[in-house]
Amino acid sequence: MDEPLRVVIVDDHSIFRSGLRADLDPSVDVVGEAPDVATAIAVIAATAPDVVLLDVHLPGTSGVAEASGGEAVIRGSAPTASRFLALSVSDAAEDVVRVIRAGARGYITKGSSGAEVSRAVHAVAGGDAVFSPRLAGFVLDAFGAVAGETAVVDDELDRLSAREQEVMRLIARGYAYKEVATELFISIKTVETHVSAVLRKLQLSSRHELTVWASERRLL
Amino acid sequence: MRPARPPRPARPPRPARPVVAAPPRPPLVRPRDCLVAGVAEGLAVHLGAPLWAVRAFFVVTAGMLGAGVLLYLWCWAFMPWAAGEASPTRRAPVAWVLTAASTALTLTFLPLYLDPWAWSIWGGYSAPDAVAAMLLLVTTVAFATTAGMWAALVDRADPARGIRHALLVRAAMMTLLAVLLVLESSRLAGGGGFAQLVRTAIPLVALVAVSSTTLIERWRDLSSERVKRIREEQRAEMAAHLHDSVLQTLALIQNRAGASSEAARLARAQERELRAWLYDGDAPADSDLPTDLRDYAGALELDFPVRIDVVSAGASDERASGEVAAAAREAILNAARHAGGEISVYLEGTAASVDVYVRDRGPGFDPDAVPADRLGVRESIIGRMRRIGGSATIRPGGGGTGTEVHLRYAPGPGRAAGGQGRHG
Repeated sequence: MDEPLRVVIVDDHSIFRSGLRADLDPSVDVVGEAPDVATAIAVIAATAPDVVLLDVHLPGTSGVAEASGGEAVIRGSAPTASRFLALSVSDAAEDVVRVIRAGARGYITKGSSGAEVSRAVHAVAGGDAVFSPRLAGFVLDAFGAVAGETAVVDDELDRLSAREQEVMRLIARGYAYKEVATELFISIKTVETHVSAVLRKLQLSSRHELTVWASERRLL
Repeated sequence: MRPARPPRPARPPRPARPVVAAPPRPPLVRPRDCLVAGVAEGLAVHLGAPLWAVRAFFVVTAGMLGAGVLLYLWCWAFMPWAAGEASPTRRAPVAWVLTAASTALTLTFLPLYLDPWAWSIWGGYSAPDAVAAMLLLVTTVAFATTAGMWAALVDRADPARGIRHALLVRAAMMTLLAVLLVLESSRLAGGGGFAQLVRTAIPLVALVAVSSTTLIERWRDLSSERVKRIREEQRAEMAAHLHDSVLQTLALIQNRAGASSEAARLARAQERELRAWLYDGDAPADSDLPTDLRDYAGALELDFPVRIDVVSAGASDERASGEVAAAAREAILNAARHAGGEISVYLEGTAASVDVYVRDRGPGFDPDAVPADRLGVRESIIGRMRRIGGSATIRPGGGGTGTEVHLRYAPGPGRAAGGQGRHG
């Protein structure tokens, strides 16, 4: 990590933006900020950051039917090398699933500390997925893991493999990636691979429960 | 005519200069549980007069060119209901009395209705007879109309009577009015001129009036629905606004202040409260396990410098009143008291089993080293789970930091309780 990561913060609250900016590690360089969807798309196009810290709820979605602002930003700047990390005050399943499905590489709550956010930014920049315990719980639920559904083949999109379930369960129990690795006697890299696989399934799965489940739990 | 003085309660004469303030009168309101309208009872309470006296006053003054009736109606219109939630209920079966009265009148004078010449009360169909007949008809129709409308507009909302009662009374009264209309209109062809036309119109108008109550009801329903929708919209708007502003700020405060500081704790508690108020419309009485633990965690965050993250997956019918919940609460309390910092709670429930993990990042402890007189862990967690046929395991958290308590309860035959996880 020689060069600091270039980051753009998209959030409609200037207080939050400046607060987050001040909290981030020196290894993260904030190259731009944007308060709404249109500005965000322009800033991302202009600065081509490594990571975009994206608020799920943004105003000024100019009539795009029901798409939460974060989703609109991701879709609006579609051909980009930037990676998106969703930030939200709420753990509303619907919002989370939406931004993840739109292409965000991770999801953390705004309650996370600056160090946590910095760590997550690095993980996302490195191509890994970032799961909060609650997102892991959601995923287990949505893929029917709790009911005992297990994928037989690894690349099955609609179910989690046994190992992925184990990883998700440990994350849900509050284990960091490193702790998950120690617990399961695997390397951190393997844990990250599993998490990325789950993220991919979350984005590509056609499980109808995903939507049902998301709409049922509007907010938790 | 000298107006009768209303019977007044014996009040002490007002002193010239009020040294002691007179006790305030009870407010002039109509009680929600009343005989007919609650006017007399409300007045009696307000004036401190006996109820019978107020009633007698109204009856007596009613005889004086209807003054009492007017006063009664005026009070009825302007006295508000007593404060309360319950919809007003009336002890007197007003609708039934009026129904009975109009039916009795119709049946008694049915021969007169059937035979036009029988109207000759004074022998020979004369003007006074016509007036008497008209009065009779008007009275009967008025009773019937009032009964129908009273049932539809007043009794319908009365918990003691309700919709079926309203439908019944209205159907009866509409039948009666229809019969009268048929009788009167049959005589329209036989001559009788303008007077007969008016006599036919009276039950017709009444029929229209009684049936129009359906429209009034529908309109009431419609407007109450509209009000509800507007409220809902306002609430949603407010929720969105608070979500965007206050919750964000609270999140920021938590963020900047550090997990275990006082400010962060307060902000988190506030956030939880606000969120619950905004989004939890209806909480079940005996809430489910995740909800209960979430509430409990929220309360603990106020008392201890901790941050508790409760995650749940799956659904189980384990209730908050169960032993598992009690053991889980104890485990969380222990973690908050002895470890502090960040605590993760994860619940996984299926139809067959419940798993609860409580993980802290404190110094960790050895359950065997806990003195025997400390009942917390041994009794409240391990013992409790064992008694219901479940299990509790306490072990160091992942990577060797902190402690993790795992509660498992798998009821049902054949399932070995305590089939503890695959880890180790």
